[in-house]
Amino acid sequence: MRYAKSSSTTSRRNLLMGTAAAGALFAAGCTSNENNDDGDNAEQAANTASDKPGKAVAIGFAGPQADHGWLNAINEQAKRRAKEYKDVTLEATEGSNDTAQQIGQIETLINKKVDVLVILPADGKALTQVGLKAMRAGIPVVNLDRIFASPQAYRCWIGGDNYGMGLNAGRYIGEQLKGKKNAKVIELAGIDNLELTRQRTEGFNDALKNYPNIKKVGRQAAEFTVESGQAKMAQLLQAHSDFDALWNHDDDQGVGAERAIKQAGRDDFLMVGGAGAKRAMDAIKADNSVLKATVLYPPTMAASAIDLARALGQGKGVGGLAELEIPASLTLYSAVVTKDNVDEYLPTGFS
Amino acid sequence: MAPAPPDPRPLLTMSAITKSFPGVRALDGVDLDVEAGEVHCLLGQNGAGKSTLIKVVAGAHQPDSGEILWKGTPVTLKSPVAAMRLGIATIYQELDLVEGLSVAENVFLGHEMATGGFVRSRAARTATAALLTRLGHPEIDPGRLVGDLSAAGQQIVSMARALSHDVQLIVMDEPSAALDPDEVDNLFRIVGDLTAAGVAVVYISHRLEEIRRIGDRVTVLKDGRAAARGLAARTTPTREIVALMTGRDVEYAFPRRTTAAPIATATPVLRLDNLGRAGEFEPIDLEVAPGEIVGLAGLVGSGRSEILETVYGARRPTSGRVLVDGRPLRTGSVTAAVRAGLGLAPEERKAQALLMLESVTRNVSVSSLTRFSRGGWVDRGAERAAARRCVRDLSLHPDDPERPVRTLSGGNQQKAVLARWLLRGCRVLLLDEPTRGVDVGARAELYAVIRRLADDGMAVLLVSSELPEVLGLADRVLVLREGRVVHTAPARDLDEYSVLDLVVTPLPT
Amino acid sequence: MLNQPGGRPRPAAPAEVPEPTATLTKESLRGTSADRPKTGGRSAHDRLWALADLRNLSLVGVLAVLIAVGGFTKPDEFLSTDNLQLVLTQASVIGVVTVGVTFVITSGGIDLSVGAMVALASVWATTLATQDYGLGGILLCAVLVGLGCGLVNGVLIAYGGMVPFIATLAMLASARGLALQISDGKTQVVTVDQVLDLGLPDSYILGIPPLVMIFAAVTVVGWLVLNRTTFGRRTVAIGGNAEAARLAGIDVKRQRLMLYLLSGLCCGVAAFMLVVLTGSGQNTNGNLYELDAIAAAIIGGTLLSGGRGTITGSVLGVLVFTTITNLFALNNLQSDVQQIAKGAIIVAAVLVQKGRSTP
Repeated sequence: MRYAKSSSTTSRRNLLMGTAAAGALFAAGCTSNENNDDGDNAEQAANTASDKPGKAVAIGFAGPQADHGWLNAINEQAKRRAKEYKDVTLEATEGSNDTAQQIGQIETLINKKVDVLVILPADGKALTQVGLKAMRAGIPVVNLDRIFASPQAYRCWIGGDNYGMGLNAGRYIGEQLKGKKNAKVIELAGIDNLELTRQRTEGFNDALKNYPNIKKVGRQAAEFTVESGQAKMAQLLQAHSDFDALWNHDDDQGVGAERAIKQAGRDDFLMVGGAGAKRAMDAIKADNSVLKATVLYPPTMAASAIDLARALGQGKGVGGLAELEIPASLTLYSAVVTKDNVDEYLPTGFS
Repeated sequence: MAPAPPDPRPLLTMSAITKSFPGVRALDGVDLDVEAGEVHCLLGQNGAGKSTLIKVVAGAHQPDSGEILWKGTPVTLKSPVAAMRLGIATIYQELDLVEGLSVAENVFLGHEMATGGFVRSRAARTATAALLTRLGHPEIDPGRLVGDLSAAGQQIVSMARALSHDVQLIVMDEPSAALDPDEVDNLFRIVGDLTAAGVAVVYISHRLEEIRRIGDRVTVLKDGRAAARGLAARTTPTREIVALMTGRDVEYAFPRRTTAAPIATATPVLRLDNLGRAGEFEPIDLEVAPGEIVGLAGLVGSGRSEILETVYGARRPTSGRVLVDGRPLRTGSVTAAVRAGLGLAPEERKAQALLMLESVTRNVSVSSLTRFSRGGWVDRGAERAAARRCVRDLSLHPDDPERPVRTLSGGNQQKAVLARWLLRGCRVLLLDEPTRGVDVGARAELYAVIRRLADDGMAVLLVSSELPEVLGLADRVLVLREGRVVHTAPARDLDEYSVLDLVVTPLPT
Repeated sequence: MLNQPGGRPRPAAPAEVPEPTATLTKESLRGTSADRPKTGGRSAHDRLWALADLRNLSLVGVLAVLIAVGGFTKPDEFLSTDNLQLVLTQASVIGVVTVGVTFVITSGGIDLSVGAMVALASVWATTLATQDYGLGGILLCAVLVGLGCGLVNGVLIAYGGMVPFIATLAMLASARGLALQISDGKTQVVTVDQVLDLGLPDSYILGIPPLVMIFAAVTVVGWLVLNRTTFGRRTVAIGGNAEAARLAGIDVKRQRLMLYLLSGLCCGVAAFMLVVLTGSGQNTNGNLYELDAIAAAIIGGTLLSGGRGTITGSVLGVLVFTTITNLFALNNLQSDVQQIAKGAIIVAAVLVQKGRSTP
């Protein structure tokens, strides 16, 4: 699926309307600026991006090292999505957690003159400069999840909602424990130095404030790894012989947490996960463990980012909205996956 | 102000200095006075307190009690920097140079010539070159790395560093130990220059003849006290000095062979067959019989130590081979050499032979562990018993094999090394400077031990810088010069003068 | 004087003594029972031991304080069998790694690759292909991977002349990379029941978790090897003075190779234990084990420069760290406080030792 790089052309009429593939959270369609020349908004719908091949777009993709289930899913989603479009060439770099290395990789992509960049920075703040550089070079940047320090460094940001994740987890638990007096909740957080962990905890705490009968009695931070999940959960279980609900920030460390729960022989509480691993969804569907729900932090955002990049490269907007342009930022909803709706989300689960 | 008259007070007066370490009273009320412009020699056995005393002078140790006067004024030398500020410099036996820095950088280490934090390296090099010229070594490049210099060269750098300060007292701890005779002469010339300029030198050496040549007064230390002060260095009889050091009359005596077995007829245990190492020594043939001590005489750099290390497998020969009992050794393997029955007492005891953190027992048993083990399991009872026996056999003092080896004097540390090979049951003993850093009294004991080991059937190959030692101890002597054996003769047919003549006479071309 | 009468041969003397020279009779070399040192002669030895014990004692003291604090703040949760099992279980994986690291440090080396080796071994041992072979396959695979990495480390260091720091740093990077490549960044969940059951309470024998038993066994064997065998002696000897050890006839290179093999073996065993504990293999396993293990060994009293090592101290060090984590978690203190305390304890322990060792 190698396509020649193409310079921006102006006319992009006659593009067919298409619907977003399953898993994309919004329908991709577009109107180009040029479409406005017609002055005919009714045509807008007919000029949205579709699955049918359009102008060839070279998309550069730079992500961190996929040493974690979720990040791995991000890479896969991006690559799979790009493959679905015959008009998209994806130039994906080796994932790197090293800021300097990632900057170098992105600069290479800029020099190669890709049409659009999708960047999931190892460190959003540290990579802001290279984002600015790309934008100045006329390459629109889709900033994926970890946000750059300056809005000038990206054309569009798309990412998850960490605060919303905590909020929805808290709400779900609150509803489940409604009417129960002196209900106790504990939290198994992710890496404490990360801002996202603090945001998740904040959302969780804010949600719980709505339920005066619930008290958060314990919290420990693991490291998004199975090993730390097991270790910290074992300690939490030892510290709290009796509680009603547990929110675990991350399904990957949840493997360890559930192992610790099994080792402690406990099943007297409900557990809510985070991120949306396939394994967790399978367990929710089977309904034979303490895990009753998980709050999404959808890796499908990478696929959506490819959609956005393609639309940007082809000079179109998003369908389904009245806007002529692609929005500057898109915050995804952290849905709560339970037994009732798990079938709907299972295809997006990552392993 | 009128010009000050010559100060009648001594430069440095130390009185009733005491210093204790856990379990040891290193200094027990030492007195010492040093006049400006004199060479004051400090004598004493190892453990007499010399090292501790000079460390007090250098500010490296704080005395527990006692008084130090500098030009009549009480002072506390609370750090080496404080001592340096007064004008006291110390040249330690273990040179304290930074090998990765250049000569000039070493000389001005800690008091760099700098402007606003930037080192003026050109000025430092010029100044260093001047100092080196003054020391008789203008050929040393101030920009060279110290690690690339010979031991003698490093000594010169050390001295240049001392002189880079405005120095009034220099302490030299066995400065001649690593030097060739030429270098020693140069050293004495420098000492003479310094004293002529009014600088006092405190000189420590085990070599009495040096003290005779340059010393003015002698202070003898024994058991942490001054046994005698202010002796005339040139005229006090040797006997008297040795007696003061040891508390008994010690002959600088070499034991005679006790077994009558004729060496000539015995089958050689060690044979060097055309053994050579290009650039270090020329191929050599040699046979050593059980009970025989063969001495290698020559200057530093004549290839003596290199021969020993090549025989031992620590260096790989470029020609020839080593045979023990007629069987050739795998070359370049110490393990093979030890297995075949070789043992080495290396020149640098602390760096090359001893496990300083360990007890005497463990130092003795390290080469014989398999003897006390079954299936890798060490029988510590048997190990201790055997080590104890060897320690007793060699009259190691103190008679406690569980003591950490670092608490022993140099002579007893050497005995621990010999005990290692005794326990191993080795057949060929290679000795490199066996009495370096060992005091006179203990030397005689070591000589007796070495002779006895030979009499009991070991073949001994001995290297020493001290000619009397080689001539007195060995049965046969090989004289080396520039990597070549220039003469071989029974020791009784040689004397110091004739050997020295062979060693220094230019080779016929 | 050298040829002292030997007395009767000691019965326990090794059967095969290399033929000694004429220097000493066999009997005098072996010594007799009468030569066995009596109490008086061992006093210095005892003092040495007392010193070693004293160093451990300071850690025992720290541990006692921690237990007292735990008993005071959370009597019900802390002072319970469950919690003892928990603390020991959590200590066991890193404990086994630390035993191996203690040997390497005692020999004057360093092994920065332990965490990466644990990760690689745990990932390799939990691939679907390996899991087909069941418990035995997983264990064997973990151990072989550990030994393989140790072999590479050892050959590079002993025979390739590489500095241990660099060689094991390279191994750290490449083993982690390989672990990532094999697992593709995914968590490999174990489905072999025999393995999973080992980590569950039903498999506890007399209340002792199997993992803790492995830890205890490794500790005892490690102690014996370091203190009672020729291997241990040689380890200490090359750590104290490698040149002297070489000139004393010890095959230093071979010994070094064996030491890194040993460290790899411990990592393999630890990886298996981690698989049992977490029921999975992941390339992020063993994160920062190298620092935890080195820290535990050092606060235990093993010299970073080599020449002195103590398994007891290392295990105490691990227990101190694990107990702190437990104590803090029980009191709901967060990781920031835990990290600060960990740092403070490392500094304090090393200062205490320094105070003891300098006169």
